[in-house]
Amino acid sequence: MSSFDLLLQQFVNGLSLGAMYALLALGFTIVYGIMELINFSHFNVFMIGSFVAMGVLSLFGLSGQTVLLHGFPLVGVLVVTLAVTMIACGMLGVGIERLALRPLRGVQGPMAMITTIGVSYVLSNVVMLTMGANTKNFPNPIPSVALHIGTAQITVFQFIIWALSAVLMGGLYFFVQRSKLGKAMRATAQDPDAALMMGVDVNRVIMTAFFLGSALAGAAGFIFGLYYNFTNFGIGFTAGLRAFTAAVLGGIGNIPGAMIGGLLIGLIEAMAGQYIGAKWADVIIFSLLVLVLVCRPAGLLGRLAPTKS
Amino acid sequence: MITRRSAATLLAGTALGAAFGLPRGAQAADSKTIIIGINLPITGADAAGAKRIMNGALLGIQQANDSNEFPGYTLKPLVLNDATATAGQYDPAQAATNARKFVSNEHVLAAIGPEMSGSAKAMAPILSEGNVSMVTPSATNPDLTNPQFAAQYMPSGKPTFFRTVTTDAFQGPNMANFYAETLGVKDVYILDDSGAYGVGLADAFQKQAEAKGLKVLGRDRLDPTASDYSAVLTKIKSLNASSLYYGGVSNAGVKLVKQAYAIVPTIKKGGGDGIYTPDITTGDGFPAAEGWYVTNASPHVADDPKIANWLNEYTSAFNEAPDDYAITAYDGVLVILAALKKVIAEGKQPNRENVRAAIASSSVDTLQGTVSFDQYGDVKQRVVSVFQITHDPKYPLDDANHQFKYIGVAPQS
Repeated sequence: MSSFDLLLQQFVNGLSLGAMYALLALGFTIVYGIMELINFSHFNVFMIGSFVAMGVLSLFGLSGQTVLLHGFPLVGVLVVTLAVTMIACGMLGVGIERLALRPLRGVQGPMAMITTIGVSYVLSNVVMLTMGANTKNFPNPIPSVALHIGTAQITVFQFIIWALSAVLMGGLYFFVQRSKLGKAMRATAQDPDAALMMGVDVNRVIMTAFFLGSALAGAAGFIFGLYYNFTNFGIGFTAGLRAFTAAVLGGIGNIPGAMIGGLLIGLIEAMAGQYIGAKWADVIIFSLLVLVLVCRPAGLLGRLAPTKS
Repeated sequence: MITRRSAATLLAGTALGAAFGLPRGAQAADSKTIIIGINLPITGADAAGAKRIMNGALLGIQQANDSNEFPGYTLKPLVLNDATATAGQYDPAQAATNARKFVSNEHVLAAIGPEMSGSAKAMAPILSEGNVSMVTPSATNPDLTNPQFAAQYMPSGKPTFFRTVTTDAFQGPNMANFYAETLGVKDVYILDDSGAYGVGLADAFQKQAEAKGLKVLGRDRLDPTASDYSAVLTKIKSLNASSLYYGGVSNAGVKLVKQAYAIVPTIKKGGGDGIYTPDITTGDGFPAAEGWYVTNASPHVADDPKIANWLNEYTSAFNEAPDDYAITAYDGVLVILAALKKVIAEGKQPNRENVRAAIASSSVDTLQGTVSFDQYGDVKQRVVSVFQITHDPKYPLDDANHQFKYIGVAPQS
């Protein structure tokens, strides 16, 4: 492979990885933007998303890499699976908020965040004890067609990831900027008390934030399964931690920031694997995080909304 | 944020370890009871292999009781689980707790296990202090019996840690010989999974590969909790490597096998006994897993007609065919029983020290042949068997005996 092809290939690898981190990072950012809460249960909502998607695919008779679909059935299966997974994960997120976080609302200090860590462990252990700890073979019905540029290749599936991520992120951005509920979300983020006085239903806003964030995590879980063809109960931590880093890197609470942070971390991971050694990837990612936070405490893009006092 | 996470890991680990690591089997025992401890990760990622090992050991104990080999004594197993829910696999901290349980139970004279070297490193010092002999059917890390680390793993100065398999000091190098001589590859890229076992195995492989004149194109370390190894695999592709060697267990192995099939499908790929497990064939499926070479640190006897009776007995007792480490576990029980028999025949008290001394000096006929130990507790035979993953659609994916095809003994240096 020529050095240009190699760079291109690692760029493609990194972009796919980054798209997934970005989807996951958005969930952290939406919830943080509204509640100033770091929601660690998000890690495992993502993991559960991959299991839900695997379950739905198995209902279509797909298991392992045995069945390839084409044309309309392929699109149909993917759309249905994506929809079911996103709704299920969204409901899970709403459930977590309702059961574990709402009773703690207004409590000062890190209680709510610690609760989310607890919820995260409950989720991963429930999956491990019911589904088993071994790695599962995730079905992928998408034929492996690839576009070759020199010796680098871009698979049709990578295009699907990029397109899907772009659509979901664009949709979210549009929703938050243009819709009435989105406006209510931004108002709540700026000043929840004032928003309440203006007649914004804060509970509804918070539930919406959890639903949207968790639904995106479910989509990321589905993409993860399709991309890597496996899942297990432990996938949430590493991916979640990197996505969280992406959110902080871009400026937590800032939606475009999370997207940029995710893409950046995906690219760093791929380039580090090529040019420095995969074992250094975490060192570089987290050093960059420290550097950015020291120099720009609000992250690369900072917070768009004025910070609460 | 990391501190918080690790603090939470610690907390959850303690609580869940207590919930799931409960001892099972004999607790109350009369004075004529001899307990053989068994410590294996019987839940979690390695459960399938661990259960086969456990069954091998249980069969040995049961046969001795059935044929009344020790008149006046009853043999009992005490099975402890060293896997925890937080680790999702073997957990050295739990293994250390279990070792203390063996030591504090005076009826435990010797033990079988653990399966994993990481657990063995946690247990060996405790068992050495308590003078409980342990025979492992599968922990292959060389440090455990290396005199250089004797102060750490053998603080009592006497061998208490024995193996019925050889070590990675042979498993790695013999596989390097296999790469150079049998596969005839000219270069290799080496990966490990950053665990004690994986790093040691890859180091041993690398040293011998260099000695054999193989060009080592690179060496990198995989994070077993990460999901994406495509960056390093793309690099391997760009180097036009003709082969890949992976030292590690199935946790990173499953993902590596899958992504290697997508990125470098045609090069020769291999690893150690850490990926000689049905987790690879079920987790990856075919064709992804097809063609990988794996080794086992013991002679391959699991379909030897000479032990057909034993194989039948095992299969009918547990409804599943044994693998080679079920056999080395059974062999380990035979070693302990032979030592006990010798102690009793010589009119000595069957206690820990007498059993330990008898094991150290024993020479026992077992299923894999004669087992005897060097001064550090390592088995004297040094056979490493090579298998290749070859899909046999007639059998289920988790049937390791049929999805892993025996190739032969790796050339010894």
